[in-house]
Amino acid sequence: MLEQLLIFTRGGLILWTCKELGNALKGSPIDALIRSCLLEERSGDSAFNYDAAGASYTLKWTFHNELGLIFVAIYQRILHLLYVDDLLSMVKREFSELYHPKRTYYEDFDDIFRQLQKEAEARAEEMKKSKPQAKPVESLTKKEGQIANKKKGVLLAGKEKVSSKDDASEGNHTNGHKLENGNSNGRELGTKTTHADVKKSVPESGAFDVSKLRKLRSKASKKMDTFSKAPKVEQNKKTTKKNRVWDDSPSESKLDFTDPMAEKGTEAVVVVDQGESMMDREEIVSSDSEIDEDEEESGKPDNKKRGWFSSMFQSIAGKTVLEKSDLEPALKALKDRLMTKNVAEEIAEKLCESVAASLEGKKLGSFTRISSTVQAAMEEALLRILTPKRSVDILREVHAAKEQGKPYVVVFVGVNGVGKSTNLAKVAYWLLQHNISVMMAACDTFRSGAVEQLRTHACRLQIPIFEKGYEKDPAVVAKEAIQEASRNHSDVVLVDTAGRMQDNEPLMRALSKLINLNGPDLVLFVGEALVGNDAVDQLSKFNQKLADLSTSSSPMLIDGILLTKFDTIDDKVGAALSMVYISGAPVMFVGCGQSYTDLKKLNVKSIVKTLLK
Amino acid sequence: MEQWLNQVFITQEVYVALAVLFFTSVLFLLFRLFRRTKSNTIVLAGLSGSGKTVLFYQLQDGSSHQGTVTSMDPNEGSFVLHSETSKKGKIKPVHVVDVPGHSRLRPKLDEFLSQAAGLVFVVDALDFLPNCRAAAEYLYDILTKASVVNKRIPVLILCNKTDKVTAHSKDFIRKQLEKEIDKLRTSRNAVSEADISNEFTLGVSGQSFMFSHCVNKVTVGESSGMTGEISQVEQFIREHVKS
Ligand SMILES: Nc1nc2c(ncn2[C@@H]2O[C@H](COP(=O)(O)OP(=O)(O)OP(=O)(O)O)[C@@H](O)[C@H]2O)c(=O)[nH]1
Ligand SMILES: [Mg+2]
Repeated sequence: MLEQLLIFTRGGLILWTCKELGNALKGSPIDALIRSCLLEERSGDSAFNYDAAGASYTLKWTFHNELGLIFVAIYQRILHLLYVDDLLSMVKREFSELYHPKRTYYEDFDDIFRQLQKEAEARAEEMKKSKPQAKPVESLTKKEGQIANKKKGVLLAGKEKVSSKDDASEGNHTNGHKLENGNSNGRELGTKTTHADVKKSVPESGAFDVSKLRKLRSKASKKMDTFSKAPKVEQNKKTTKKNRVWDDSPSESKLDFTDPMAEKGTEAVVVVDQGESMMDREEIVSSDSEIDEDEEESGKPDNKKRGWFSSMFQSIAGKTVLEKSDLEPALKALKDRLMTKNVAEEIAEKLCESVAASLEGKKLGSFTRISSTVQAAMEEALLRILTPKRSVDILREVHAAKEQGKPYVVVFVGVNGVGKSTNLAKVAYWLLQHNISVMMAACDTFRSGAVEQLRTHACRLQIPIFEKGYEKDPAVVAKEAIQEASRNHSDVVLVDTAGRMQDNEPLMRALSKLINLNGPDLVLFVGEALVGNDAVDQLSKFNQKLADLSTSSSPMLIDGILLTKFDTIDDKVGAALSMVYISGAPVMFVGCGQSYTDLKKLNVKSIVKTLLK
Repeated sequence: MEQWLNQVFITQEVYVALAVLFFTSVLFLLFRLFRRTKSNTIVLAGLSGSGKTVLFYQLQDGSSHQGTVTSMDPNEGSFVLHSETSKKGKIKPVHVVDVPGHSRLRPKLDEFLSQAAGLVFVVDALDFLPNCRAAAEYLYDILTKASVVNKRIPVLILCNKTDKVTAHSKDFIRKQLEKEIDKLRTSRNAVSEADISNEFTLGVSGQSFMFSHCVNKVTVGESSGMTGEISQVEQFIREHVKS
C-alpha cells in the first residue's frame, strides 16, 4: 500500500494529501527528499530512500514544471510497489486540469485519486499476469542488454539487472549506485531504467493515449543509445586512469621541502613574513570576463530539425511546451562544455538530467531560445550546488572551540602528492596572521621524509610541531598531539596524514581509526584541481570508506575541501564542481601558488561563469 | 494647393506623434520614479523551518492551509493583508516575498533586497538554541549587505512559534543573537579586512554589539504563524508600507 501521496508547490505549500491514507509519516521524509535530493541537483534520480526510526520509506516524485508543482509518493521500501510511477504520472495529468494558482483546496480530487489508484493497481496486476504476452518486447531488450553487458563495467551492472528482470525490486540496487552524497540522510538509487521497462510491458488499456506511447518508445530507444555508448565511456575512463601519473615533485617549488637532505641546511632558517595571506583579500579565483550571451549562442548547434523561420516564429509566438527532445541538443552542448572544463562525465550527466527534469513541460517564453533557457537553468543549478550549505567561517569555529577550552582540530586527508603538507603550512600561516596559535601534528608516519618536510615548515613559521618519528600508529600520535595542544593552550591543531590511494584498504582503515579516535572538528579533503573523472572516485571512496569503517552510528565524513594547484588549471575549474557535488562539502580553501600567502577563498560566482563560458 | 494641404497634414501628424511620444515617456518616467521611491516589498527571510511560508499564507489568506514543506522557490504575492480585507476604502496592496531558507537557495535573497521596504527575519523560537549560530550568521550576512546598509532597510527580528510554551522569549533571543554577532564581528572582520567593497562593519567598535548600534532600525517582535497571531508583523508592514 501507498503510505502517502502529496502534491505541493515549489514554494512549499501542500495542496493536497490523501486523507484516506492519512497515516502519520515517521520523521520528515519529504523535507529530507527536498533538502538532500531535489536541492542537490539529483532530481533526475528515480527514487529516494529515507530511513527514520522505525520506518524505511522509498519516495518517488514527478514535477510539473510549468505549474511549479511537485508530486511525491511514499511507500514502505519492502513493498516494491510497481504501479507508483504510473500512478504519479496519472495523478499529475489529472491534477493539472484542476489546478488553479488561486486555489488551495482540492477536495474534489479525492474521488479522482481513488479511481486512479484503483486503475493503476489493476494495471499492475494485469501486467504481472500477462507477462508471457509481453515477452517479445522484453527479449529484445534483453538481447541488447546482454551484448552491452559483456563489455560493461561494474557501474552499469546494477542497472542492467533492473532492465532485464522486469519485476525487479528497485530497493535491491543501491549497490549499483556509485554517486553518493555523503552528507545526505537517505540514499538515492540509480537512474530511471525501471520506468520505461515496467511501462512497456503494460498492455494497452484505455487509459493510455497515443502520445504517451510515443513518449515511451522514444524513451526506450534512448536508453538503448546510452547502452551502446556505455562501453566506450568505460574504456575512456580506464585509459585516463592508467595514464595518470602522480607528480610528486612540482617543478621549482619554493615551498617543497620533501627532500630530507634539505633539512641539513636548516641552520639558516629564516622566519617568514610574506605579508597578508590571500585569504584576506577580495579574490577573484578565475578570470572574470563577462560572458557575451549572443556570441556563445551563435556557436551552438541549433535544433536542426526545425527551420530557421519556424523556430523564429515560435520564439516570437512563445508558449511552446518544452519536451525532452527539444532540450536534448542544448543539454548535450552544455554537457560537452562542462566536460571541456574538466567536470567529471558522470556529474555533467547527472546535472543535465536534473536540469532536464526541472525544465520538461515548461512553456518557453516569447523571445527566448531553448539554449538560453537551458543555460539559465544550468547556471542556477551550478550556483546552488556550489553555495556552501555549512559555514565556511573557520575562524569563527576556532573561536567557539577556544571558548570551550578545546583546541580546534583539522585533519588533512587526500591521495598522494596533492600538496597536503604544503597547503597545511599555508593554512597555518593564515591562522597565525589572525593571532591564532597553531600546532602541527606530523601523523604521516608512512612516507619517509614527511616529518622532516613538515618540520621545515614549522621552523620557518615558528610554530610548534608534534612528532613521534615513523612507524607509529598515526591515530595515537594525533591523540597525543591534541593532548599536548590542550596542555600548552594551542588554539588549533593541524594534523598532517599520509597520502593514500582511495583503494588502499589498510591505509583507509588507519585513517578511519585516526578520525574516529580523535573526533576532529574538520576533516579537510585536499584534492588537486587538475583531476577530472578521478575526482569522483577519490572523494566518493574516501567518504564511503570513512562511513563503512567507522564504528559509530554517525560517522565523521569529509566536511570541507581544499583545492590545490588552482593556478595551473586555467579555465578547467571542473574539479571544484565535481568534488562539491559528490561530497556535498564546500570548497573552503584554494591553494594557488608556491608561497605561504597563496591561499584563497573560492569565488563561487566566477567559477559558475567560467564553467559556462 | 493639394500639395500644400498634404504638407500641412503631414506636419500635423508629425507633431501629434511627437507629442504623444513625449507624454508617454514622461508618464513612464514618472511611473518609474514613483515605483522606485515607494517600494512596497516586504521580504521574509530566515533559516529553513523557521515558519516563513506559513507566515506568508497567514498574511495572504489568514490560514496556513494544509501545512508546508521545505520551499524550493520563493513565494511572491501582491495582496491586501488578509486582516485588512474587511476594512473599507481603498487599501494599497503589499508585495510580500518569502525567500527559502535553505542555504543553497540564499543567493536568491539579493534579488529582492534591492527593492525591499522592510525585512522580516524569522527565527524559530522553539528550536532556537541548536540553530542560534546559524541564524546569527545569516542575520549578520544580511545586516552587512551593502543594499541593506545603504538603504537603511528596517529589519524586524520575528521570534516565531510562540504558541508553544517552551518557546524562548524575544529578549533572550535578542541577547543571544547579539552575543553571537559580536563574536562573528571579530572573525568576519578578520577574514575580510581588505574587502571593503561589499561588507560593512557592524556596530560601534570597542563596544559589544547591540542591535541598536545598527544604522538601520532593527526591532524584535513575536508571532505564531500557526495560530495566526501575527499582529506584530502586520504592524511592521504597515509602518513601512503605508496603506
Ligand atoms: N508550533 C508552531 N509551528 C510552526 C509555526 N510556524 C511554522 N511552524 C512549523 O514549522 C515548520 C516549517 O514551516 P515553514 O513555514 O514551512 O518554514 P519555512 O521558513 O518556510 O522554511 P523554508 O521554506 O525551508 O525556508 C512547519 O512544519 C510548520 O508547521 C508556529 O507558529 N508554531
Ligand atoms: Mg518555506
